[in-house]
Amino acid sequence: MKRTVVPFGPQHPVLPEPLVLDLVLEDEKVVDAVPTIGYIHRGLEMMVERVEYSEMGFVAERICGICSFMHGMGYCVSLESIMNVEVPERARWLRVIWAEISRIQSHLLWLGLGADAFGFENLFMDCWRMREEILDIFEKTTGGRIIHSVNRIGGVKRDVSDSELAAILVKLEDLGRAFDRTAGVFANDPSIHHRLAGVGVLSATDARAVDAVGPMARASGVVMDTRLSGTSGYDQLDFEPVTETAGDCLARVVVRMREVRQSVDLVRQAIARMPKGEGLPLETRPRGNPAGETFTRLEQPRGEVLYYVKANGTKNLERFRARTPTFANIPAMIKLVKGCDLADVPNIILTIDPCISCTER
Amino acid sequence: MDREAFLARVGEYRAQGLRLALINVTTIMPAAAPVHGARPEAGGAATPEAGQVVPADDTPGDVFEVAWVFENDRDATLAKIREQVGPADVIPSVSAMFGAAFLYENEMRELFGLTVEGINLDLQGQLYKTATRVPFSHAAVKARLEALTGATAAPAGGQAAAQTPAKEARA
Repeated sequence: MKRTVVPFGPQHPVLPEPLVLDLVLEDEKVVDAVPTIGYIHRGLEMMVERVEYSEMGFVAERICGICSFMHGMGYCVSLESIMNVEVPERARWLRVIWAEISRIQSHLLWLGLGADAFGFENLFMDCWRMREEILDIFEKTTGGRIIHSVNRIGGVKRDVSDSELAAILVKLEDLGRAFDRTAGVFANDPSIHHRLAGVGVLSATDARAVDAVGPMARASGVVMDTRLSGTSGYDQLDFEPVTETAGDCLARVVVRMREVRQSVDLVRQAIARMPKGEGLPLETRPRGNPAGETFTRLEQPRGEVLYYVKANGTKNLERFRARTPTFANIPAMIKLVKGCDLADVPNIILTIDPCISCTER
Repeated sequence: MDREAFLARVGEYRAQGLRLALINVTTIMPAAAPVHGARPEAGGAATPEAGQVVPADDTPGDVFEVAWVFENDRDATLAKIREQVGPADVIPSVSAMFGAAFLYENEMRELFGLTVEGINLDLQGQLYKTATRVPFSHAAVKARLEALTGATAAPAGGQAAAQTPAKEARA
């Protein structure tokens, strides 16, 4: 049969970011997919040769605008591990709170984009309206809506008062209740089911075979969440990873919806457990230059991110590597796209929640 | 590197149900001038030590440390295999055992110029498109699509482009 090649991206109506995929078709079936991750490659990792380690955190944050807080946090946690810096307890909990709020923000953004992809524009507007409220919280507490720059090696730059935290919790719980109504539409609307149920099924065995991470793996029934390792204080929080077993596009939507509610609960727990009061220490300043290496893992909204940092005792790191969740999920995406109909490609690609600026650091 | 022992160890990790978390390449002996004077202070990193691979013909060339990192989801531990390789070394692919390895292996070939043998999805210089000087030009995209339509087994760019080392392409 004659083969046709459809270049999917870098510009495509459904793509929020410039993913590049060459789809080889036989009739309407995709028989091969060739990925490219060089379109917006910026060489941020190589900047460690020119940017001092103390300033590199600001570069790490700019790997991606959606998970910027977690990238900054991951970089700082790595350097703290190398330099044996103990982070003050209140700063540790503030990081957990901001990380979970950023997960809510990311999932709401994605749910909106997903809704837009399958042609449900009201849901898109609804999700993004809720996301604006989260961005307002970020703006009020960190000073930035997208790039926050509150993480420092050894702690955080800003405190959030106890009364402000209580107000944030009330706002998040209100938002959670409003989100339940939207989540009900995602879960029950027949047109969404028709578009997503049974499409792009990744079995648990396949998810393990291609080393999928995050909601992608959890939607296939693989219990995998870096927060379970207990880093950053998650060992003191009560939570179970959200899993689904269907492994299809709808299951990936449902996992993210349930994680929005779970994150609101984690913020509530973190606020309850953190030390209260004004003027508590927020930062332990590191001394000297870092020497040594470390691997750091965090659970970003899209899945596990792994940082490798190698320092040689100078102001410039020797190596900084970020293996982002989208990079890890590309093999799974290619596996799903092969054999599907062309019309299902946008939904399959979107349900891995691709972040191309993360992938092409 | 001891190819057989390496593959046997990777096979053990697969059998134990570990997950491939990362394949990372670090330049450990730069051939070029030190960057901002940082390298000579690196605690001996710029000087070949016992056991360190130096190119056989004594020509200047980078030496890399390749680290394969595997993760055990049950106890959240990492298992690592580290090898020092020179530009002339051939690194065996682990993509037959870990399906996601092809992405890292194509990356290390394109961005570091290393030779990896037996990748199950060989993108032949088309992942970062370092083999093509202006990869998103109209002519390059057209050639890529034509190559894909003609022979899907050999992805875009063709053999000639694939054999162009990353460094030459950049030069």
